[in-house]
Amino acid sequence: MKFLSILLCALIFSGCSKERNFDERELHLISLEKFAGFDPIQVSDRYSGNETGKVYEGLFEFHPFKRPYILVPNLAESLPTVSADGLVYTFKLKKGVVFHDSPCFKDGKGRELRADDVLYSIRRLADPKLQAKGWWLIDDKISGLNEWRTKYASLDHSNYEEAIDGLKKIDELTVQITLKKPFPQFLYALAMPYTFIVPKEAVDHFGKEFLNHPVGTGPFILEKFEQSNEIVYHKNPTFREKFYPTEGAEGDDKLGLLADAGKRLPLVDKITVHIMPESQTQWLSFQKGKADLLELKSMYERAVDKSKELHQELKSKGIRLFMDPMLDVTFYAFNHENPFFKNRKVRQAISLAYNRAENNKLFYNNSALEAQGVIPPGLGGYRKEFKNPYTKFDIDQAKRLLREAGYPDGKGFPEITIETRSETSARQSIEYFAKCMEKIGIVVKAGINTWPELVKKVSTKQHQMYTMAWGADYPDAENFLGLVYCPNQSPGSNGANYCNPDFDALFKQATILQDSPERSAFYEKMNEMVSLDVPWVFGFHRTEFYVAQAWLKNFKQMEFNHTQFQYLGVDLEVKKELSKKF
Amino acid sequence: MKNHSLWRDAFGRLFQDKWAVASFIIVIAYSLVAILSAMGLIAYDWAREVGGSNLPPSAEHYFGTDIFGRDVLSKVIRGTQIAMSVGLATSLIAIPIGVILGAFAGYFGGWVDDLITWLYTTFSSIPNIMLLISITMILGKGLFAVYVALGATSWVNLCRLIRGEVMKHKEREYVQAAGAIGGGHFRKLFKHILPNVTHIIIINTSLQFQIAIKSEVILSYLGLGVQGEPSWGTMIDDAKLELSRGVWWQLAGATLAMFVIVLAFNLLGDALRDSLDPKLKGK
Repeated sequence: MKFLSILLCALIFSGCSKERNFDERELHLISLEKFAGFDPIQVSDRYSGNETGKVYEGLFEFHPFKRPYILVPNLAESLPTVSADGLVYTFKLKKGVVFHDSPCFKDGKGRELRADDVLYSIRRLADPKLQAKGWWLIDDKISGLNEWRTKYASLDHSNYEEAIDGLKKIDELTVQITLKKPFPQFLYALAMPYTFIVPKEAVDHFGKEFLNHPVGTGPFILEKFEQSNEIVYHKNPTFREKFYPTEGAEGDDKLGLLADAGKRLPLVDKITVHIMPESQTQWLSFQKGKADLLELKSMYERAVDKSKELHQELKSKGIRLFMDPMLDVTFYAFNHENPFFKNRKVRQAISLAYNRAENNKLFYNNSALEAQGVIPPGLGGYRKEFKNPYTKFDIDQAKRLLREAGYPDGKGFPEITIETRSETSARQSIEYFAKCMEKIGIVVKAGINTWPELVKKVSTKQHQMYTMAWGADYPDAENFLGLVYCPNQSPGSNGANYCNPDFDALFKQATILQDSPERSAFYEKMNEMVSLDVPWVFGFHRTEFYVAQAWLKNFKQMEFNHTQFQYLGVDLEVKKELSKKF
Repeated sequence: MKNHSLWRDAFGRLFQDKWAVASFIIVIAYSLVAILSAMGLIAYDWAREVGGSNLPPSAEHYFGTDIFGRDVLSKVIRGTQIAMSVGLATSLIAIPIGVILGAFAGYFGGWVDDLITWLYTTFSSIPNIMLLISITMILGKGLFAVYVALGATSWVNLCRLIRGEVMKHKEREYVQAAGAIGGGHFRKLFKHILPNVTHIIIINTSLQFQIAIKSEVILSYLGLGVQGEPSWGTMIDDAKLELSRGVWWQLAGATLAMFVIVLAFNLLGDALRDSLDPKLKGK
């Protein structure tokens, strides 16, 4: 019995002492999804990107504070030199960048980053044996790469030694990449997790276990990886000299975001990521001060009142609320191969009958912005003044259009199934959509799918309609306009199979232009033209909410945030002081 | 002298147990609600918007309203119809399969027994929920798929019990006597043995019914069950998002409805066993 009570005491106190450790600068984060493993070429969602980005790095990254998003060199020494025809990119790598120490290297010491590593990582992305999720990013872009991929698709091993036109090493620290055709978004591709640089030694040494043994150049080193519990990182002692930026967007100075300017990165010694898919658990642990930052999803109403302010109780603990529009658009896409949806009046009628304001209230706490077109605000090509006449709520006009289309009061129109995911909110939003359509006599049913089922249905064109949200891969409207570009139809990203030759012609012209006011004007024109044709029932541009503890420093919402964590800091004084309130 | 039949005896004992009577009444009440709802006499307009979004329970709406302003009570009633229909359909599918296969296996033995035993051990070695999910995937989602999926997976228990019981009975004297006066296999099996194992079927049905109801709720909760109609499972699924807003009545309504009927079936099943099983007689 005595032994038991000693044991109990030990347990209790060990629990407490962990809480009372205010000497170590440690971040506690929450990941909302489980994470499969650290292989950059397979990282297709944001939560996986966040983990991978702590360990691995790409040639470029997005500036953590400046908006609109701009690219800054990360592993690259500077922005590349681009040939006049926009095809040949020459990159210089930073000197003295070393990989994490790992048994995969000779003597266990991380070696220096070389041009070969960059080329190797791009080949890996194209390797037909690896089925990389990010292949689409460079598909048909780099000269000779597709041929290499096709050649080895049916052979046992891909030969990484074989020369490829478009991928050349100039010297140990210089890489030259030649594109097939101009692709101004190429540099964005080099900031995405897919193209993070991995060393060949690690891939060879760890084999199938490579997923669990990341060896990157990044600011943190993986210490512990428990897929459904927690991931622990500590600061990389051999991290190169990288410093906190001295500039930010307007007003960042006042927000204190530049207080750490010039300090050596990363700012914290340790990061613990708790894997918590359940929203209730997330919220409770944030509320107890066990997490520094939380993305608010369904727990929104626990934190925020009707006037979009934090509840008083949270404010008194110094908790801050962040809200920023996301670069995304939600939509109900028609399958344009379905003869019923070929009629534009039908599409317009359906769009007019959808009550967006009410939907916003029911599902987004009135925080979303009604989408007028394909492009979200924050990207060149979005025009605030543009109002799509078919996104208003007008039952009478909808009925009239449906009558003109030959289906008075929905007579003769078939029952529509909208394919969606099995999540509660997805099902409910279709239930709401169905309720709206009932008013013009169209019967709508929900088709509930798991994510792979949904993707399969859409990519094999087995759907009548489907609903989805599209988030930006990189800050360029091309990424959104491509969703309605004919050559991208299923199995590509144009799951609506929408084809409009006039739009396609413009798209071809616009996408080879470099970022410029002319290009934005071009995008605007395209966006408005395609929106009036109602390729989808436009939904919303959503807002993203975060709550952060008072002691978390330098947090700014970021759409492409996988490199953000090295900039975050913890104010231990504040934490110590406030911990009494928790 | 008046001769009490076995059944009369059993029901006499059953009705002395006041919990059993209460459970029986509850089952009857649920069945009535389900029938009335199926006939379109009550809760036919569950999809109608009757008030604001997420109104708490009041004198007007006893169980409040859901996110689209629909009456939660009507949804619970509609859910009752679906749950009871699933229980019934599942029993109608599972009982004949279980009884026939079990009886054949027990009576004929040999390779028939081997085959059937192999079949049901295989079936029972697959996790039930996996099997249910795969069946609904093949048949497409909807009520019909739920009937078939649950029916096809829930006969194993009954089959096993009947097999054992038939094995025991087939060596009994009355069966031998039936054989001696020229009764064939089928006559012995269906005319003589089966009536003597009916109590197992009745007890099993009562327990099976509530398992089917629970399974339907789970399937609907996972989004694999009824589509476009309120089910207790989808209502509980809805509640996942609503609870953070303090909307508890949909969860409460569905859970309460389920709790009461599952409890009633369990109590009834126990009481039926007590009164029908000859071994427990007089206890």
